Amino acid sequence: MTAPTTHERAHQRVPLWRDVIVLKWVTQVFLLVVVLSTMFFLATQAGDNLRARNIVSTFDFLERPIDIQLSEGIDTHPDTGARALWTGMVNTLRISVAGIFFATLLGIVVGLARLSDNWLVRRLGSMWVETLRNIPLLVQMIFYFSVLTTLPRVGLGTGPINGWFHISNKGISMPRVFIADGFYQWLMVVGVGAVAAHYVRRHRQRIQDETGAMTSPILWGIGTVALFGLIGIFVHPMFTWMGGIFGAIADLLDSLPIIAPQILFSVVALGVAARWISRFLTDHRSVRGHLSLSDDDWFRIAFAALASLIIVFVLVRWTGFSSWTLNSGRDLFHVLEDKFNVDGAARPFDAMRPDIIQKSRFPNYGKNGLTMSIGFAAVFFGVVFYTSAFIGENVRGGILAVPKGQSEAAMAVGLGRGQVLRHVVLPQAIRIILPPTGNQYLNLLKNTSLAVAVGYSDIVQIGQTTYNQTGMTLPVVAIWMLFYLSCSLSISVVVNWFNVRMKLVER
Amino acid sequence: MSEFAGLGADLGMSTGMIPITAPPETPKLPPREWVKANLFSSPFNSVLTVVASIIILAITRGLMSFIFNPQRQWDATATNLRLLMTQAYPEEQYLRIWIATAVVFTLTGLSLAVWRAGSAVPLSDVGRRLLTFGGTIALLVLLAPFSVRATIIWLVVAVAVAGGGEALRRLVDDERTMSTLGILLIGLSGLVGSLWVIPYGNHTFQLHRTPRVLAEPGTVALTTKLPWTVMLLVAVAAYFLGIFIRERLPTNAPRITLLLLWLLMPPTLLYLVLRDPSFDMGHVLGTDIPIFLVYAVLGGALLNWLARPSTGEIGRIVAALVLVAAFAAFLTPMRMIVRLDMLVLAAFALAAPTFSGGPRARKNYVIGWLGFLGIMSWLVTAINTPSTVKVPGQFFIGGLSLTLIVAVFTIVISFPLGLALALARTSNMPIFRLLATWFIEFVRGVPMITILIFFSIMVPLFLPPGMHLGEVAAVIIGYSLFSAAYLAENVRGGLQSVTRGQHEAAEAVGMTTSQKTVFIVLPQALRISIPPLVGHCIGVFKETSLLAIIGLFDVLFIARSVMPNQTEFMGSTKENVLFVSLIYWIFCYQMSKASQRLERRTGLGER
Repeated sequence: MTAPTTHERAHQRVPLWRDVIVLKWVTQVFLLVVVLSTMFFLATQAGDNLRARNIVSTFDFLERPIDIQLSEGIDTHPDTGARALWTGMVNTLRISVAGIFFATLLGIVVGLARLSDNWLVRRLGSMWVETLRNIPLLVQMIFYFSVLTTLPRVGLGTGPINGWFHISNKGISMPRVFIADGFYQWLMVVGVGAVAAHYVRRHRQRIQDETGAMTSPILWGIGTVALFGLIGIFVHPMFTWMGGIFGAIADLLDSLPIIAPQILFSVVALGVAARWISRFLTDHRSVRGHLSLSDDDWFRIAFAALASLIIVFVLVRWTGFSSWTLNSGRDLFHVLEDKFNVDGAARPFDAMRPDIIQKSRFPNYGKNGLTMSIGFAAVFFGVVFYTSAFIGENVRGGILAVPKGQSEAAMAVGLGRGQVLRHVVLPQAIRIILPPTGNQYLNLLKNTSLAVAVGYSDIVQIGQTTYNQTGMTLPVVAIWMLFYLSCSLSISVVVNWFNVRMKLVER
Repeated sequence: MSEFAGLGADLGMSTGMIPITAPPETPKLPPREWVKANLFSSPFNSVLTVVASIIILAITRGLMSFIFNPQRQWDATATNLRLLMTQAYPEEQYLRIWIATAVVFTLTGLSLAVWRAGSAVPLSDVGRRLLTFGGTIALLVLLAPFSVRATIIWLVVAVAVAGGGEALRRLVDDERTMSTLGILLIGLSGLVGSLWVIPYGNHTFQLHRTPRVLAEPGTVALTTKLPWTVMLLVAVAAYFLGIFIRERLPTNAPRITLLLLWLLMPPTLLYLVLRDPSFDMGHVLGTDIPIFLVYAVLGGALLNWLARPSTGEIGRIVAALVLVAAFAAFLTPMRMIVRLDMLVLAAFALAAPTFSGGPRARKNYVIGWLGFLGIMSWLVTAINTPSTVKVPGQFFIGGLSLTLIVAVFTIVISFPLGLALALARTSNMPIFRLLATWFIEFVRGVPMITILIFFSIMVPLFLPPGMHLGEVAAVIIGYSLFSAAYLAENVRGGLQSVTRGQHEAAEAVGMTTSQKTVFIVLPQALRISIPPLVGHCIGVFKETSLLAIIGLFDVLFIARSVMPNQTEFMGSTKENVLFVSLIYWIFCYQMSKASQRLERRTGLGER
């Protein structure tokens, strides 16, 4: 018999054990089964071991009363486990947000210093980066902590500037500017001002584009917002009526049945999946409308459909999520209603000077000022200095990656050094700086977990105290992971959004 | 690649392109002009210079006053150096630690020679650096709170160093060079020599106190000067031996042997030397060695047959059967070593077609199998034997040794894991890709300390009754999983930078996917990923400091919690932590400098 032709060979059925597609899927399913069975095995082992020790691992401790005292936070004597963990989360977020802000500022300064013309400034920047990058963060934090604890004690006459700024071994105390009752109404006025500023900026920009006169549109926009802010300090009570609107919305949410959010989220999930699948199919159609899908494409479609069905199933079975949504929405709008229903004498901001009181044997900081405790200061300085070194390197790398020809051409056209930086180099450099800097923000958030070593009550430290008291190690670790994963995901989403915007602007 | 460079130049010459000349050199400015151009070129620059000098002087003065304050308890650090390095390893067995150090120094000396480390630096450059060094010493001395006599002595020293540097610069011909290794040798000899002259760590304290975890009476220098001299001589001898080997043998054999020795060194030192296991020779001869021989002989024969190109489909079916047998072994009661050997045999059997070939390739493959099997059997036996070294605390050693052990084992274990994860993440198969992506994103979104707490506290919860995992082992597994996820991201960048042409050429020649990955893609991807990989190693080394939070006796824990609790040295946290940060800084700085040198070297492309 003659050998089969190419055409015949192409249309012969390949035996099952040689078919690449079958082998591919068999290995994948096999690995999936192995992974799932390992996880199942570990879970059952854990269950058996816990039962053998008479420990019931549930999330009940969140509702039960707990007896711990925290060193700082929104609630230093929490009554339930959930409240304690929530205080920890707020502490972590507080120090992360403050840390990100100051680390970025310092990082930009360090990066620009390393690129300066001045030899001394360059050496200073290099020493800063080389020292801080090569010492572990924990060691740095512990060093700052041990230095801060050896500061002198609080006395009635303490501080570099008594009555305004105190430094002692209880922490750093400074004047506190805080949000008073009229803040949200003032915010409304500033919002109106922002809308007005948008139109003012557009108008000035149009004049600049048409006539070429330097009309500084951005400065005018900022100036408009500032003007509205200034006026708002006096006229903000005019927004008191918004409280009534929020109250009505809260009552509306209260009257909704539980099934309403369930239907809403299910429809959204199914709709998103359906739209994705239809777009996928459209992309894969040939010009004449034929559809040729590979096995991977079928997998993707099946995965999308399955994911949306799982979401719907979870929503239907677990009514807790919908009732939580309704309740939280209602509570949120009640809170907003209260914030807007204030009398006219309220002010948007208030300020208080720090005080030193003596209730028992030793003087201590009073409640008036903004006190940065030793733990907070150690974590804050450690994290800000450490991350600023990395952000400085990213900034330097980004600016160096802009081709030299760009700055040379700009200088040839007659722009000064500052103008070259602002109009030519930085817009191109920001695209390169942003992804690794977003990564550094994630690292900063995760590095604040080291606060457990210096006694600052962040979520890891409070979680440790909680599980030492209640014995619920697994649920606490699960809450940790959920919290950090959601924060990381949020930061990643924001940074990716910026990245995508920068790309479009470049085109 | 190099042949293409030559081709391009030839083409250029033949088409009559303009020859490339070097760009004009910027002239080196005389000192006064240099100061004017760099420090005072504009009013803003002058202000910056003044502010920066004030900051530098203030920081230096603060640091000097802090260090030389008479209230500082530097003898806390000096007396407890042994504690910081090895945490109460029994004095009678301290020879083992020196043997381990000698092994590391030998391998280092051999590697420096075989890999031609060290570059030539002109002597005038050395002179210039000496001059700067002398100037810096003078500045520091002037800022430090020394007595007048001490200031004058140190100023004389500084002037001597600077004068020597200046003399070197002026008197020596521009062409004379010196190897950086020579400079390193001079520096190390100076340090070791100073051990014989200066009595470091001199402190008189009570002899009879409990617990006896402090250094024995005498000075640190007294007890370590002889061993360190021996170490230096061993390293130098190994270097010359390495040169001898390098001259006699072709390039590859010594390099591969040294790489294998480096890989074998950590487990050997840990399980054989430092831990002093008491092997039960009866059990070893009666059970372990026979099992090893059976697997070696039968497995070798099987693999030899499977690696023939003519075996074909029967071979793959047999390999699948071996895999099924391995999984069945896990479900039946059997010795763990038998199950593990079966699993490894299944892996080698499945990979046999990738490495198939002529007699020489098959021989290499069987030798690889024998080596792997032998090392694994020996490791399992060694891990299961108890150690005769009894110290307070969880692990038989601590301090800087524990930090290095955890870091090295983490890097070694996480490297293949990270590679596998990276390959899975860039794979065509959706389930592999999804599982790998979820794992990596999960691990990267969670801070290290939560993973460490999870592994150190909750591992006993997940183990079946009867199985026991030490705390350090569990912690190393946690570190490895964390490190593997980050490593996967670094290697992924390298994998994605291998051009499509390479993949297509490999497939055109007839390679299977595994062969293409192992022989074509991975070597290129790993070469590109070397700089981020070295950065990752530095990160792993810094992350081991987190052991202090869990309570394991690493350097930071000893410096922070153990030493300030000793009655003579209460309140000495700041000094100890400063010393520990100096140790970390020296290690990490050298590693980052080596990474920059490595980048420059591979960038020049010695293909």
